[in-house]
Amino acid sequence: MGHALNGGRISGPAVAVPGGPKISHRRRRQIFLVLLGAPALIYVLAIAIWPLAQGVSYSFYDYSLLRPAKTAFIGFDNYRALWANDAARNSLVTTATFTFAAVSVEFIFGLAIALLLWRDGLFQRVCLALLLIPVTVTPVVVGLVFRALLAADYGLIGYYFSAWGWSNPRGFLGDTATALPTLVVVDAWQWTPFMALILLAGLKSLPTDILEAAEADGATPLQRFRIIILPMLLPAIFLALVLRTMDAFRVFDIFYSTTNGGPADATNVLMIYAVKQGLEFFNVGFASAIANLMIICIAIFSVAFIALIRRADRRANEL
Amino acid sequence: MNKRWILAKAAAVSLIALTPARAADKPYDGVTLTLASQNDQFATVLADLAPKFKDATGINVKVDILSYPELLTKTTADFVGHTKGYDLLTMDIVWSGQFAESGYTVDLTDWIKRDAAEINVDDIYPVLMASLGGYKGKQVAFPFAGYANVLAYRTDLYSAAGLKPPETMEDMVANAYKLTVPPKQYGFVANGQKGPAVAQDWMQYNNEMGGSILGADGKPALNSEANIKSLTVYKALFDKAAPPGAADYDWGGREESFRQGLAAQMQTWSVGAPGYFSAETSKVAGKVALMVAPPGKGVPKKYGIGGWGMAINADIDQKKKEAAWLYIKWLTSPAVHKDFNLRGAGSYLRISETHDPELVAKFPFLPVIDEVFVHGDGEYRPRIPQYPQIQDILGTAVNAVLIGNADPKKALDGAQTEAAKLF
Repeated sequence: MGHALNGGRISGPAVAVPGGPKISHRRRRQIFLVLLGAPALIYVLAIAIWPLAQGVSYSFYDYSLLRPAKTAFIGFDNYRALWANDAARNSLVTTATFTFAAVSVEFIFGLAIALLLWRDGLFQRVCLALLLIPVTVTPVVVGLVFRALLAADYGLIGYYFSAWGWSNPRGFLGDTATALPTLVVVDAWQWTPFMALILLAGLKSLPTDILEAAEADGATPLQRFRIIILPMLLPAIFLALVLRTMDAFRVFDIFYSTTNGGPADATNVLMIYAVKQGLEFFNVGFASAIANLMIICIAIFSVAFIALIRRADRRANEL
Repeated sequence: MNKRWILAKAAAVSLIALTPARAADKPYDGVTLTLASQNDQFATVLADLAPKFKDATGINVKVDILSYPELLTKTTADFVGHTKGYDLLTMDIVWSGQFAESGYTVDLTDWIKRDAAEINVDDIYPVLMASLGGYKGKQVAFPFAGYANVLAYRTDLYSAAGLKPPETMEDMVANAYKLTVPPKQYGFVANGQKGPAVAQDWMQYNNEMGGSILGADGKPALNSEANIKSLTVYKALFDKAAPPGAADYDWGGREESFRQGLAAQMQTWSVGAPGYFSAETSKVAGKVALMVAPPGKGVPKKYGIGGWGMAINADIDQKKKEAAWLYIKWLTSPAVHKDFNLRGAGSYLRISETHDPELVAKFPFLPVIDEVFVHGDGEYRPRIPQYPQIQDILGTAVNAVLIGNADPKKALDGAQTEAAKLF
């Protein structure tokens, strides 16, 4: 009962099943492999694909949980309403602005921290352990803590900034000009260490012989960083950027617990808008359209970043 | 042997005779009811009282304490999925319209009529019965926690400034300006944060100043002249008499600023009142009094009513529905409800309660609550299905005015355009 490996494919003699059609060994192996993968496939279908498909389907209906009997197919009307809605367009711009600002700040400071902690030592190890603290705190708690700290009338930070005239008398979170930048800082406080950890892992994996050779050849630290370290670090950089961009684009907790989208609409990000439509007004159809818009945006970012990672990977391998 | 036989027979007969009697006393023995409760002051008291109800009826009540958004989301998901996860739920006054339209909860009208004498309906404030679950001829919940909107003010600051408690809204506004001595003392505080916080507080003041969210036709009238005028006064109060950060306050921030002694007066729900009188939670204990919120000159006495009703999930089986109704009747019965409030629930319902000497001795402000309930208005926040969206629209518009992003007319014109689309 031997079998041969031909061009990566397994083949063998057919097996007769009593009372049934003949099933070749190759087919049996294929079925076996499918069965092996089936639990994972079913899991993904049930947990990810099915809800996603449901969400897409709901977005074409006028579907309110409070009026389920009046559900009606309306085609792209939810998307048209989304586009025509000033608040929704403003939310999209606010979300994109926040994502760009927060990820940029986190990347710059994360890279600086990673470079500082690159060499092994007691100081670096202690710093690394302390860095993990903000990442472990629940974002809602981070929001509540900063809300209390920044309160203009009795906050530990906000009171003095307001009293000294360094902030609007209503505080940083009460001013449309400073609320979003303040939340960028709060987000950066929590997530810069995460960015630093990914970049640090990338730095630790760099081949030391190339860097030592460059140093021996008289390359300055700046030259080593620009010509060797940065290009070889690109895969890690893009990985960190894609993870944080996806996360920042769907930010909710910190905004909900600090400003609830205000003042006015200054911090009304898409997730706050979607949650309000879906879980407060129970407009499931419209909320699904918002969620799908977010998925499309995140998918575009991800594809772009993944393409960049691949290119960077190829360049790094060529070095 | 013969004697033993007779004794055994007698014991057996007694047992047989007793068993039906016990079953008749406790027909729902062994039933478990799951109650979804708002995380208000009454929630822990509901949990504390559950064993007493079990002793009386054999029914086990499990109280699941949830935050406001959690309560609404979880119970709605339960209704939509027909999963029967909750048998009972606490229902906010403003959900009445939604619940009545969707039919998710049992209409209690016939049961209330049937058991009117047992319930002693006449002892329940009519405004609470009508507002906390009544909607267009249906009773989708039974009232159990009435809240009164009251004015809390600092007696020491009032007497130091030689002021009398306000009789009208105009007096209150004038007093607020006189009591403002920045940066340590402000004459007024209210919620300013975008969303339900600022919308609910402004609707209260707006009502007292003669404004209204809906017109006579039941459609939104957000940009009426009275509403624009009241928002202009509200904005001026925030600019000249409120702590600078108040435009970002929600309920927690507002209460804290009063308890810390930063603000001299504020309107609030009666449920939080005991906290102002306790030195453990308040820096102003002993210097606070409550009174009815003063209406504007020429505006009839209309005091804001809020609170919670208890509703029964329409999906559960008949036996559980009856057990749940038994629980509601038990909880709202005079003796149990008095105990409920003596334990600190701060949730009043019956006329006899606000006049009960023991309760009045413990909570001296009960006559104020009685006055509010007698002249109560549960409609200033419209209890219609579109209420959540209207509240959200107003929450954005009023906040934009308070932070100086829009003038009252422009903001309310925009809000009216948005709200009109809902009808």
